[in-house]
Amino acid sequence: MENKIKISKFDDGLVIKISGDLDSYKTLSYKTKILQAMEKNEPLFLLFDLKDLTFLDSAGIGLILGRYNDIKRVGGQVGLVGLSSYAAKIVKISGLSSVIKTYKSVAQFKKEVRV
Amino acid sequence: MVTNSMELRFKATLKNESLARTAVISFIESLHPTAEIVGELKTIVSEAVSNAIIHGYHLDASKDVYVKGDIEDDVLSLIISDYGQGIKDIDLALTPHYTTRPDLERAGMGLTIIESLSDSFKIRSVINMGTRVMVTKKIVSAEEKVTDDVGQ
Repeated sequence: MENKIKISKFDDGLVIKISGDLDSYKTLSYKTKILQAMEKNEPLFLLFDLKDLTFLDSAGIGLILGRYNDIKRVGGQVGLVGLSSYAAKIVKISGLSSVIKTYKSVAQFKKEVRV
Repeated sequence: MVTNSMELRFKATLKNESLARTAVISFIESLHPTAEIVGELKTIVSEAVSNAIIHGYHLDASKDVYVKGDIEDDVLSLIISDYGQGIKDIDLALTPHYTTRPDLERAGMGLTIIESLSDSFKIRSVINMGTRVMVTKKIVSAEEKVTDDVGQ
């Protein structure tokens, strides 16, 4: 699986799809890309689509948590979608699941956050 | 009886994290691990290696990180070592959400994650001598899992 990030816009939110390995090295460039997209679009909602994620560690958790803190400051919401049982385990152990909710689909996230 | 073993030495740069992950995964390939085990091991290796690079060596790429692996039956033992600055207070380092580098956005959960994903976990550290993380993990094979699922 190729390592890549794809950011797409929906209403006042962004879907951030991360594929392949999300490691310390990749988080450095992904963070810049996400921050640029956030600056340009000023989203209230961020949804991380991790369906094609093959690797996650505390660097990736930190990247998501950092954006959660950014979005919280503007009163928005962050969600996760497409977690494998492995990714769900890392999300749980790291404590990320206690602050960020996992949704069944992009559609469910949009519906629940009413955008 | 050790049935297989490996050793890997590489420079302390984050680029080499994927090398370390890939090497360990290749090493256990003959045991046909489940996707879940592969993911968990990749995370264990990356957390330990990034700790060595970032905290042990402060990203000094002239320094070396060592990964040693042994397979005995279906159990993998890994030792990840650095000869860097060492950890002042291991209990504090093991505290969830504690980090010496909040600027790096790394959640302060590395050691907690390694401990949770391993069957056994030990850490030894001496100031100015380095840090050694030792873990073991039973490699559940995909074939074994199929048999178990059928058995239930």
